Amino acid sequence: MENMTPIIHVSKLQKHFRLQRSRRRHWSSVRNLTPKEAAIIRAVDGIAFSVEPGELVGYLGPNGAGKSTTIKLLTGLLVPTGGELSVNGFLPWRDRRKYVARIGAVFGQRTTLWWDLPVIESFELLKHIYNIPQETYRRNFNDFRELLELDTFLDTPVRSLSLGQRMRADLCAALMHDPLLLFLDEPTIGLDVVAKERIRQFILYLNRNRGTTVILTTHDLSDVEKLCERVMIIDHGKLLYDGGLSSLREKFGGKRELVVDYAEVYQNPLIEGAEITEQLGARVTYQFERNVVTASELIIRLSSHYRIRDLEVREPDIESTVRRIYEERLLE
Amino acid sequence: MIKSLLLYFRLISIQIRSQLHYRFPFLLDLIATGFITLLGFLSLVFVFQRFGHIRGWTLAEVAFLYGLVDSAFGLMDMVFSGFDPQAFGRKVRFGQFDQMMLKPVNLTLQVFSSEFILRRLGRILEGTTIFIISIGLLDMTWTFGKLVYLPVVYFSTVAFFGGLFIIGATVTFWTIESIEVVNIFTYGGTEMMSYPMHIYQDFLRRFFTYIIPAIFINYYPALYFLDKPDPFNMPEYAYLLSPIVGFGILSIALAFWRVGIRHYQSTGT
Amino acid sequence: MRLFWELVLTSFHRQLAYRAAILAGLATNFFFGLLRLAVLVALFGDQIAVEGVSKQAAITYTGLAQAMIGFLSLFSWYELMNTIYTGGIASDLLKPMGYFTYWLGQDVGRALAQLIMRGLPIMAAYAIFFGIVTPNSPAQWVAVVISLVLALLVSFSWRFLVNLAAFWYPNALGIGRLAFTLSLFLSGFLMPLRFFPDWFQRICAFTPFPYTINTVVEVYLGVLPRDEVILSLALQLIWAIILMLAGQIVLRAGIRKLVILGG
Repeated sequence: MENMTPIIHVSKLQKHFRLQRSRRRHWSSVRNLTPKEAAIIRAVDGIAFSVEPGELVGYLGPNGAGKSTTIKLLTGLLVPTGGELSVNGFLPWRDRRKYVARIGAVFGQRTTLWWDLPVIESFELLKHIYNIPQETYRRNFNDFRELLELDTFLDTPVRSLSLGQRMRADLCAALMHDPLLLFLDEPTIGLDVVAKERIRQFILYLNRNRGTTVILTTHDLSDVEKLCERVMIIDHGKLLYDGGLSSLREKFGGKRELVVDYAEVYQNPLIEGAEITEQLGARVTYQFERNVVTASELIIRLSSHYRIRDLEVREPDIESTVRRIYEERLLE
Repeated sequence: MIKSLLLYFRLISIQIRSQLHYRFPFLLDLIATGFITLLGFLSLVFVFQRFGHIRGWTLAEVAFLYGLVDSAFGLMDMVFSGFDPQAFGRKVRFGQFDQMMLKPVNLTLQVFSSEFILRRLGRILEGTTIFIISIGLLDMTWTFGKLVYLPVVYFSTVAFFGGLFIIGATVTFWTIESIEVVNIFTYGGTEMMSYPMHIYQDFLRRFFTYIIPAIFINYYPALYFLDKPDPFNMPEYAYLLSPIVGFGILSIALAFWRVGIRHYQSTGT
Repeated sequence: MRLFWELVLTSFHRQLAYRAAILAGLATNFFFGLLRLAVLVALFGDQIAVEGVSKQAAITYTGLAQAMIGFLSLFSWYELMNTIYTGGIASDLLKPMGYFTYWLGQDVGRALAQLIMRGLPIMAAYAIFFGIVTPNSPAQWVAVVISLVLALLVSFSWRFLVNLAAFWYPNALGIGRLAFTLSLFLSGFLMPLRFFPDWFQRICAFTPFPYTINTVVEVYLGVLPRDEVILSLALQLIWAIILMLAGQIVLRAGIRKLVILGG
């Protein structure tokens, strides 16, 4: 296998913020902290990783973990306090204009397009901004309009678009200039299941057919499950996990839940291998460990003792998994 | 360079097109804007009927100052709309400035072209009209030097106020509280510079001579244009300082602006 | 009735939170006051008094005008308009008190806070730096207070009316701007109305605007003989009533439109 230079290389990356003194002087709370501690927030505290071209990486972590700070460092919005950072051969914050011309970024919460302009006009404006050759523009435009089904709203101003439409338009906009690297921040947030799936299919296409490197930050575990082979988890500014998704699940998945709607109300529907965490009338919630019993085993056991009307298996969400990893110091 | 200008005009034309979309309300807005500032001047006209002059300056002479400042400020307000401190502060807080940083275009150009409030043309028209009428009423001796220097003074005034706007916008990188204080310098400055400087208290005048040298922007040039004596015994070349002060303040503002961007990159929001 | 005073108090307290903005506002007030003062003093030249107004009174006037900006929200007030656009009006109309009274209560609280936090400091600063004219007798002070209350009623009723334009126009901001400019122009804010030509003063008298600032100023400065003071206060009251009635009529029409069209 060829030894490719990584497209992202990060080493001992640090970003510290100085805590601003608030107007209200709460002396009691300040007194508890030593002067040095009170001054600095270590949003990113010595992170190191490399991303090869063509990877599709999920970047996870609870809110306030340092996710968005890392992305801002990678996209050149912030200057690091320490460490090394190289993306696509550039130092993002310093080589801003040259660097930004080769990357794409899509934010779930905010659009990159012009609010009052029809979508197509935003695209044409971007053609000038990114200096996209006419040939490239036309090729990409035709590809994406079909894949993302943009035709129905090309002439609609961005402000009138639904969330799903806006997301597709933003994706197209971010890719017109053939970026090597694409940053996606919560791309499926607020979308219905069908729309989410469409976006995910498109991201897969980008990665598999065009070789675009994708960094995906999200809270949606299904996004990660369906798209990412590699997952990085950050919390409290430190990289807790960098590896495959399946091994993460196996090692730290934590307790799963089985929610059963019984055909009648049982007094105490106990079962071996799981404990009851909640009981409301005919609905009982069980908790079980994946390495003790599988979901199907549990269902078989239950159905041989009780009459089941309906059931649902619930996975622990990434938040609780990460919290578990951190709180129980599973990675140290 | 050409490419940047082309891009600027492209971005501006989006603004203009959407503002002109509803032609009639726009025209109404335009007239209203001019009307609003005109009323301020009308008050002065009416009051002058009772008083006749203001420390030796006639209404026409005051109108010369007033119209020039109003028109120049109006032009600044229209072109520098993107740097209006309150509007820019909002852009920073709501992440729109971040969006600009992700585009491969000069940031200053992006901010300039982010807003272009065409209806402020109303103030430009109002100010220019007052100025032209004042020239018609005054018995001025025009020399070639005066003709050449007039547009210089005009654009120095635009640069001066533009610089103040940019400074105000840069401050919003640090704080948005009390950003209205900038209004003292922009709207207050316009009001102040619309009258001859010798009517103001000493300390105020000295502040605007040595700390923010607004007095050289239009007052001293006015003395030159109107052939009036200098009541403060400044050096003879004082009237030529207008472009130096105006574009000087603009340069300082742009330097400060670059510092502000660096700071923003270091600390975010 | 108690609900009304509770509204006033809540609104008052809300204003106290904007301390930084108020300080900035004070600085702005003082600066502009200074400018206007300089212009007036320069206009006076060597004259000791013009139209019955002494130079000291003219100086006091510039401070008063600045003090009134916050009190009467002279430059803009679009809060009601915004609730119509955002739909908040729906819940406001369901409140257990008259719509007008509801908004009046909030405005009184706001105005009081502005008077205390901006108006008084301005006058105090003026008193220290320039010396001001003050009313001579307790009776005059009483007249000033009455005039202030009535001026607020006139001002609020007018602002109420202007904001109701939102029922008919999707972007009534332009109308609002024009309306506020006009009211400023005719109210004696830029210059005491006495200094304007007689024909202009006569036109102003047909509008409610002089009965906001100009009346308060004239009562305060004592440039009016006693019977004219009473006449001015009466006219303030009459205009307040006229505007309030107009407000009710327009409000009813506006609500009808809202209900029919479901805006």
